[in-house]
Amino acid sequence: MSSLQYLLAEIQNLKPIPAVAHQLLAVVDNPGSSMEDMANVIQYDPVMTANVLRACNSAYFGLKHPAESIKDAVNMLGTDQVIELVLLKSGAASFSGSQGGYGLEEGEMWRYSVSSAVIAKQMAAKIGLANKNTIFTASLVKDIGKIILEKYVARSRHKILDLVEKENLSFREAEKKVLGIDHAELGAMIAKTWKFSPKMVKIIRHHHLADETMIKDKEVAVVYLADCICMMIGVGVGDDGLAYRFRDQSLRELGFGADDMALIIAAYGENMQKIENLLHMV
Amino acid sequence: MKQIVGVADMKVSNNPAESVITYSLGSCIGLVVYDPAVRVGGMLHYMLPESSIDREKAAARPFMFADTGIPILFKTAYQLGAVKSRIRIYVAGGAEILDQKGFFNIGKRNYMALKKMFFKNNVIIHKQDVGGNINRTVRLEIGTGDIYIKTSGAQEVKI
Repeated sequence: MSSLQYLLAEIQNLKPIPAVAHQLLAVVDNPGSSMEDMANVIQYDPVMTANVLRACNSAYFGLKHPAESIKDAVNMLGTDQVIELVLLKSGAASFSGSQGGYGLEEGEMWRYSVSSAVIAKQMAAKIGLANKNTIFTASLVKDIGKIILEKYVARSRHKILDLVEKENLSFREAEKKVLGIDHAELGAMIAKTWKFSPKMVKIIRHHHLADETMIKDKEVAVVYLADCICMMIGVGVGDDGLAYRFRDQSLRELGFGADDMALIIAAYGENMQKIENLLHMV
Repeated sequence: MKQIVGVADMKVSNNPAESVITYSLGSCIGLVVYDPAVRVGGMLHYMLPESSIDREKAAARPFMFADTGIPILFKTAYQLGAVKSRIRIYVAGGAEILDQKGFFNIGKRNYMALKKMFFKNNVIIHKQDVGGNINRTVRLEIGTGDIYIKTSGAQEVKI
């Protein structure tokens, strides 16, 4: 088998994101749907329902009366929080474990993913993008390609790091040059196999702006920028470090200035505890 | 024992059995101060150069910014007996993403904010490891004043 065939075989072996996540996104990003529609989608998955209720009733939320149904949970915590819990629960299993090829220890990649998803959602809300939950999810799973690619990166580690150091390539460009595929491309292939929406596949595919024209796409730009901000903050960053390309045009496309970027970083500093709590809850 | 300095956080210690450590400095700066005569050391992990962007946040979380965090680090060390003329200073972090220029280069701005304050106050940096595109973890041993740095993909080394 060629390397590509190996990769494709590995994609088939990955445990996909639960179907409830896709169904939920289809509902919440449709302006015509109601809270009831959303609750029905979640209730249809008993494992997810139990998980969400457990998280809702955890000490973190400090509810006076326990939520006994998804409708209770939505009434008590709000739609947004419940959606977030379902999406986090959906992604958690895929990102557990360590990704040694990228120098990531157990939990680091998940911490990074959740942080960038929270930041992306905040940015999306700030500029009034309609589908902030799709953006949250795309940001959460954008590095899914690394889960498979890490073994290949490990084997070619010196070659890749050499290209980054000596030829000033970004880590993604070096992956592409050495392995023939980068983690964003592979991530998009996985997303397609998992039947993610075309929009989600597109965001994952372009989250490092390999194709610069994609900067015009606000959803791509938000996920891209949230990723850059996470790199700067440094939490959960691996051996690839900050070796990706920065495009300040992405800020302009979204109507942000450098001060806005600093404010987003400051907001993260303030919300860190919230993110830690989310990590422990799901 | 390990004293962990979180993001936008500071720790100062005079317990010789302790290590003070901060993980994963990207564009943030890890500022280490140490007075060998009294074995007092501390570390600040700040995220941004200037508190002027949000005074309210700076009041609640002074360690988030260089201009509000750095003075507190020095004052706290002085309270434990450190003396300015003896303090040794180490700076790490301030990394940047490729092509991150000018005002968008938070890492460089974080470093320049510190340099500016040090220049005004006649403070000299003894050693530093700043810039580049790498992540750094810094550890200070209070008992010896030894500083160790770990960059992504490498072993911890004493500097």
